Amino acid sequence: MSPRIEAEGLGVRFTFDRQKRPVTPAMARIRRHCSSAWGLRDLNFRVGASESVALVGPNGAGKTTLLRAIAGVFAADEGRISVSGRVGSLLAIEGGLMPALTGRENALLLGVLAGMSRRESRAGLEGIKRRSGLGQSFDRPVSGYSQGMRARLGFSAIEHSRPSVLLLDEVHEALDHEFREHVETTARSIVEDGGIVIAAGHDQAVLERLCRRAFLMKDGTIASDAAYGDVTEHYLASAP
Amino acid sequence: MAGSNVPEPYAPSASPEGRLSPRRVRDLLAALSQSDLRARYGRGPWRLLKWLVDPFALVGIYLLLVTIVRPRGGPAPGLSLACAVIPFQLVMMAVVNALDAVKLRRSIIANMAFPRIFLPLASALTETLAFAASLLLIAAMMVVYGVPPTLDTLWLPLVVAVNVAVAAAAAYPATLVGLWLPDLRPFAVSLVRAMFFLAPGLVALEQITGQANSLVRINPLTGLFEAYRDVLLYGRPPAAWELLWPLGFAALLLAVFLPIYRIEQRQFAKVLE
Repeated sequence: MSPRIEAEGLGVRFTFDRQKRPVTPAMARIRRHCSSAWGLRDLNFRVGASESVALVGPNGAGKTTLLRAIAGVFAADEGRISVSGRVGSLLAIEGGLMPALTGRENALLLGVLAGMSRRESRAGLEGIKRRSGLGQSFDRPVSGYSQGMRARLGFSAIEHSRPSVLLLDEVHEALDHEFREHVETTARSIVEDGGIVIAAGHDQAVLERLCRRAFLMKDGTIASDAAYGDVTEHYLASAP
Repeated sequence: MAGSNVPEPYAPSASPEGRLSPRRVRDLLAALSQSDLRARYGRGPWRLLKWLVDPFALVGIYLLLVTIVRPRGGPAPGLSLACAVIPFQLVMMAVVNALDAVKLRRSIIANMAFPRIFLPLASALTETLAFAASLLLIAAMMVVYGVPPTLDTLWLPLVVAVNVAVAAAAAYPATLVGLWLPDLRPFAVSLVRAMFFLAPGLVALEQITGQANSLVRINPLTGLFEAYRDVLLYGRPPAAWELLWPLGFAALLLAVFLPIYRIEQRQFAKVLE
């Protein structure tokens, strides 16, 4: 079965208490004076095999929320979203890394959480060490890593889980030139092999190289869904 | 590069734990507990030393209390105390660990989907490893007081299993409290600690007289403590109520809080924002 992502009337809502702290719906029932806001509302789209989509739009438009909904990190509060394919997500520089653990320990944990057995995950550790280029730092706690090193580790761990749906949120912007090329090559090979890449960020040059299609996100909705060049032209023209 | 075995479609918002094989559950629990262990207790020989010294220090303080400050120790007071303090520490530490279970893994929860239903269970398993090291104290106390193991000591694995079940069940509400009411964390810890003093922790049940003897039996920790004393100190099998009452309490906690946890875990990432 080919990888695909389908959303029908997708909505993701956030609930806040009186002090504007996010709360779960169960807590909202107990606490009084709660308010809510939709992070995404009424999203309908379909992304199929060999597609690469850029999410563009201003901060707070819903790009990260949509990536997290696709990754299964946020639950749909309205409508539905379905994803087929093994998802690999790097949605923050710290993406899935525990600072107290070493690079090796983090990579082992991420592999198992991504769906591999412990044996498979352990077998890939030397490959992750090599691809990440972390050298001796691979066996040191992540708390001492720079942002670039964390992104390298996170991406290399994802790579090992052989995702057919790759989700990237601005993290490639923290990478040096050499590893950024590696990320782009990997992303392109996923698309060439029939996978899907969804990337968000503000580095238009990188997104243009990676993606042929784009969603212009605005106030939690998809304002435009078209070829990358058309969407960015519209977005940049409308930007203040 | 793309995965050769593409899984069936799934709704990312649905709980993925429903389709897990026993092998996958084992791998997940092992990976979560191992990472938890390293994040909380560090690495190397110092970790083992801490686990060994901790229960000695705890029991030592109470031992001074019941043998010198207020002598009500009964037979082998050190062993009797260890039979309460060590199982209590497992429950206590599982709760303390679970209170921070979501916070500790916030970066993972915000980045990827995985069966979050196992987070509290992994917290309890992490503390079970520390607890295993603490059992050495009981062996040491048996040697000190000259209490030999009997055939009834073979009940110990069952008693430990009930102990772990209580700790794991308590970890689910603790995880939710840690998320819902983080400001009440110290209160939650004090509440669990109070349960120790409302059970025959410092003195055995047979030394508590009158109505108090009946009342403390309501506390599920009472059965647990007395079960340890039966198999390790008195050399007799545990009474049925000593195991069934704590087990029933654990089942009640799970029946109430597991469904709530199942619903709430879908919202964890939003609260961590």
